[in-house]
Amino acid sequence: MEELLKIKNLDVKFDTDEGRITAVENVSLSVNQGEVLGIVGESGSGKSVTAKAIMQLNPGNTIYNEDAEIIIDGENVIKFTSKEDLKKIRGGKVSMIFQEPMASFAPAIKIGDQMVEQLLLHKNIKKEEAKSISLDMLTRVGITDTEKRFNQYAFELSGGMRQRAMIAMALSTMPKLLLADEPTTALDVTIQAQVLKLMKDIIKEYKMGVIFITHDLAVIAQTADQIAVMYLGCIVEKGPVNEILKNPKHPYTKGLIAALPDVNNLDAPLKPIPGNIPSPLERPSNCVFRTRCPNPTHECKEGKTPMGLIEVKPGHWVDKCCVNCG
Amino acid sequence: MNNDLISVNNLSVEFDYQENFLAKKQKIHAVQNINIKIKKGSFFGLVGESGSGKTTLGRAILGANKISSGNVIFHDDNKDFDLTKISKQELKEYRKKAQLIFQDPYAALSPRMTVRDIIAEPLEVMKITKSKEETDERVREIASKCRLNLEHLRRFPHAFSGGQRQRISIARALVSSPKFIVADESVAALDVSIQADILNLLKSLRKELNLTYLFISHDLSVVAHVCDVVAVMYLGHIVEIASSKELFKNPKHSYTKALLSSIPSIDPEKQSKAIELTGEIPSAMNPPSGCVFRTRCPNPTHDCKEGNIEMGLIEVTPNHWVDQCCVNCK
Repeated sequence: MEELLKIKNLDVKFDTDEGRITAVENVSLSVNQGEVLGIVGESGSGKSVTAKAIMQLNPGNTIYNEDAEIIIDGENVIKFTSKEDLKKIRGGKVSMIFQEPMASFAPAIKIGDQMVEQLLLHKNIKKEEAKSISLDMLTRVGITDTEKRFNQYAFELSGGMRQRAMIAMALSTMPKLLLADEPTTALDVTIQAQVLKLMKDIIKEYKMGVIFITHDLAVIAQTADQIAVMYLGCIVEKGPVNEILKNPKHPYTKGLIAALPDVNNLDAPLKPIPGNIPSPLERPSNCVFRTRCPNPTHECKEGKTPMGLIEVKPGHWVDKCCVNCG
Repeated sequence: MNNDLISVNNLSVEFDYQENFLAKKQKIHAVQNINIKIKKGSFFGLVGESGSGKTTLGRAILGANKISSGNVIFHDDNKDFDLTKISKQELKEYRKKAQLIFQDPYAALSPRMTVRDIIAEPLEVMKITKSKEETDERVREIASKCRLNLEHLRRFPHAFSGGQRQRISIARALVSSPKFIVADESVAALDVSIQADILNLLKSLRKELNLTYLFISHDLSVVAHVCDVVAVMYLGHIVEIASSKELFKNPKHSYTKALLSSIPSIDPEKQSKAIELTGEIPSAMNPPSGCVFRTRCPNPTHDCKEGNIEMGLIEVTPNHWVDQCCVNCK
């Protein structure tokens, strides 16, 4: 399969009043055509920042490291600065679906006009053609009465419908890579099931690459092919979804799986991961997980073991420090 | 002896709605004809989609929403509070006994108050403690019960993570020694790892402080784990009530079945076969006549489709109540 996106050694830092914060450290990952990569982790683990770095949507105080590479179609998009270049990755080759659909539509512009506008920006087509593509896309995502919806505002639609309209808009430019940032978190379970099925069908049909960001492991299990677990800006474990969920090696991945309430065994006690995620200002040196590790080795506790992924099985990568922790 | 703490009888809550000042006044039927009893010391779960009336029901039980018809009675040890006839003085007393924990711990805490002041505020407003020393003592006591670090009491909320903030809001709700707590989506904004921690805290506090909970959530797997009894709401009506184990093993209503089948499985090989409900939850301004679920029911009977069947719960097995219309739908 063709490799669509490759991120190499990405660091993202933010300059704030309280000092320089490391949001993402040494992240490397790749997405193939037609493949879904799920990124999981708690809030503050750097999932969204990684995705936004691909489209350069992080705020002005962001600092990327010099040797970072984000390769799409042979171009290092992180070095893009001109408007023309940025247009290619913002909505052209890459599209993004956000968590809160109400916040991602402009409230005072009709949904149809927003869809047409972005098509006109990215494609060399006439307005009528853009409208027919938009209407067609709305039908594809299961919205009935498309003519009427086309002329409505975002607040007139229900949550599920708004999220579907958002997906239709993101997909109408036929991006090669789709970034979905918690697309179902704000939805009810029944609507979530509808939206997930829709996304799966469309991904298959258009053979897109997808990065699916969520904190819900069960959603990942149902949609992703590959999975990357992030903690405090670092990828601590990655590999095929089946392998990682059935045979987790990192104590954080194990903790996340154990913390999920199990519907099949209601008497099982709930097991939280002890401790809190440290503030990015007090980021532990070397192994970032050591403050919450249930079984750190002596050297790790002292912060002497550097991080880095090693391959424990073909395709299954784990942080080398934590392979030996319980 | 009466084992129920709360009994809700034929409760309906309606809101007035006017699209613009020329339009006709309309009624929104947020909650209709609800009958529930909440046992002392129980964890009563309320699930349903957004717009189903869960929060309105919770607020009506707290006396924070006007009750349109029916009544809510809170059975205290030696006194009953009837919320439809409650006087202002009594309502103040009731507020000490029934408290609310909010969904979003980031929005619920004032950024300008220290943690100590946040937790102490109910004591001062309700005039429960007499002196500053007494207040401080009470705050420290409840904070340690909620596993807050006592050294943190002088800090401001921004210094805390989501889980810690939620513990602060729990401490604030518990400081007046209430007997009844409405937890409205209290773990929805938290990460899974912290969610488990807060749920365990709520569970242990129930035993320690003899609390009764009304636990509102849209997450069925969470409800299944903490609640004893679960009621499923749809468009202002309760469509099924049963003990949580019974409900998960033996769901009878097609809406409950659809909800349960929509929970994604953690096993990637078990691809979900969600029963897809077509369409969306109808507007509460214009609910379907007869059985409210008929517009989305996968298998409505002929009579039901026409809207000829009235709603109402019947007991199918002991303590398992289902809406009579949908017992026969598949």
